[in-house]
Amino acid sequence: MRYRSQLVGILWRWHRRLGLFAAVFVVVLAASGIVLNHSSGLGLDRSFVDWPWLSKAYGDNSADLPAFNLGERWLSRAANGRIYLDDHEVASCNGKLVGALRVDQLFYAGCAEQLLLITEAGELVESISASTGLPVPLEAIGRINNQVAVKTGEGWWLADLDRLDFSERAPVGEVVIRELFPDQLPDAIRDNIPAQEQWLTWERLLLDLHSGRLLGTGGVVFVDGVGVLLGSLAMSGTAMWWLHRRRKQKP
Amino acid sequence: MKIFAGFGYRSGIAIVLLTMAFSVIGEEYIGRDEFLGLACGDKKPEMQTLWITEETRDAAKAAVGWFPPALRLRYWQEGNCTAWILEDIGKDKPITLGIAVSGNRIERVEVLAFRETRGWEIRYPFFTSQFSGLTLATDGYLSDSIDGITGATLSVRAVERVARLALWLDMQVNG
Repeated sequence: MRYRSQLVGILWRWHRRLGLFAAVFVVVLAASGIVLNHSSGLGLDRSFVDWPWLSKAYGDNSADLPAFNLGERWLSRAANGRIYLDDHEVASCNGKLVGALRVDQLFYAGCAEQLLLITEAGELVESISASTGLPVPLEAIGRINNQVAVKTGEGWWLADLDRLDFSERAPVGEVVIRELFPDQLPDAIRDNIPAQEQWLTWERLLLDLHSGRLLGTGGVVFVDGVGVLLGSLAMSGTAMWWLHRRRKQKP
Repeated sequence: MKIFAGFGYRSGIAIVLLTMAFSVIGEEYIGRDEFLGLACGDKKPEMQTLWITEETRDAAKAAVGWFPPALRLRYWQEGNCTAWILEDIGKDKPITLGIAVSGNRIERVEVLAFRETRGWEIRYPFFTSQFSGLTLATDGYLSDSIDGITGATLSVRAVERVARLALWLDMQVNG
């Protein structure tokens, strides 16, 4: 009898503590779940969240439009993931645009996973990727005299673009590696290339809040934990009811 | 206040949250050198350059329906065996394929890199081995049909397109 009373006491104490801890999350999960059930009717799947910082938190940096000024020409990566020479579309750019160069008659665009060679007319000469020998991910591209060099996490490498060979280390320190840094794309060009497409709907935001994905893997694990907590509250509540019922039935 | 009495250090409950930031980068299955080592038997093929004229591009589009937007293509050759590393988009992202052709027949198809979220099953030999021995039919399609993979329709079509183009390109350089 005394043992049962102690057990009910412990259960009751923990039931209250865990219940209070879970309360906030239960309200959030219940509210987001109810709204999600009616997201189509409320138009949440068609209305977009206009918070650029949140899009960035999702890893979408397409609004930044990194651009490089190459004399009188501009090389940029538009929000649709394609490289533009001025306002002329050239080719897709796999990864962030990390650098650009002009050597003789050719433009070079360094994307994280590609090196694009472009003519003055904006035609793609060649796209070199890891599968054709490019060390990736690229961090920058530069020029040593008239030779192209690419930078990865391991340093600078000379680009032999006739043999597609990138195995020779650049003589860093002995010669100057000229490297351009991103600049602000002029409005006249910006207005003529595709703007960032809206994709983050309120429904997506609520789904990610409900599942915890908004906070990455840690958020998902946390929501899993809240689920386990709610299950344990159901069990402790049932156990208390059962023990209390048996105590009342005793003569 | 009593609710929180002993909550924490006495009970010894700790919740550890790990927030991991990760990004999905294209997965490379085999590298260029490994593919070239497998492409043409024991001898490693030598790199060649094929410059693309407007006429070549138009002829390729008429024959097989598409052509990559580049003015030059690299390929590797050993005797009458040619090896091509080409990219085509499955649904949203490029798939990098290695195609070895010998005597106007496909010798080998390898998926070098796959960046889509679905359809990666095309990398397995049960799929790629179907291409071995196929030629380019007069209508620009492959000489035999390819069994698709449920849920990977667009990736399967991309491999078929690239295989047809590799056969067509091989005919241009080998005659």
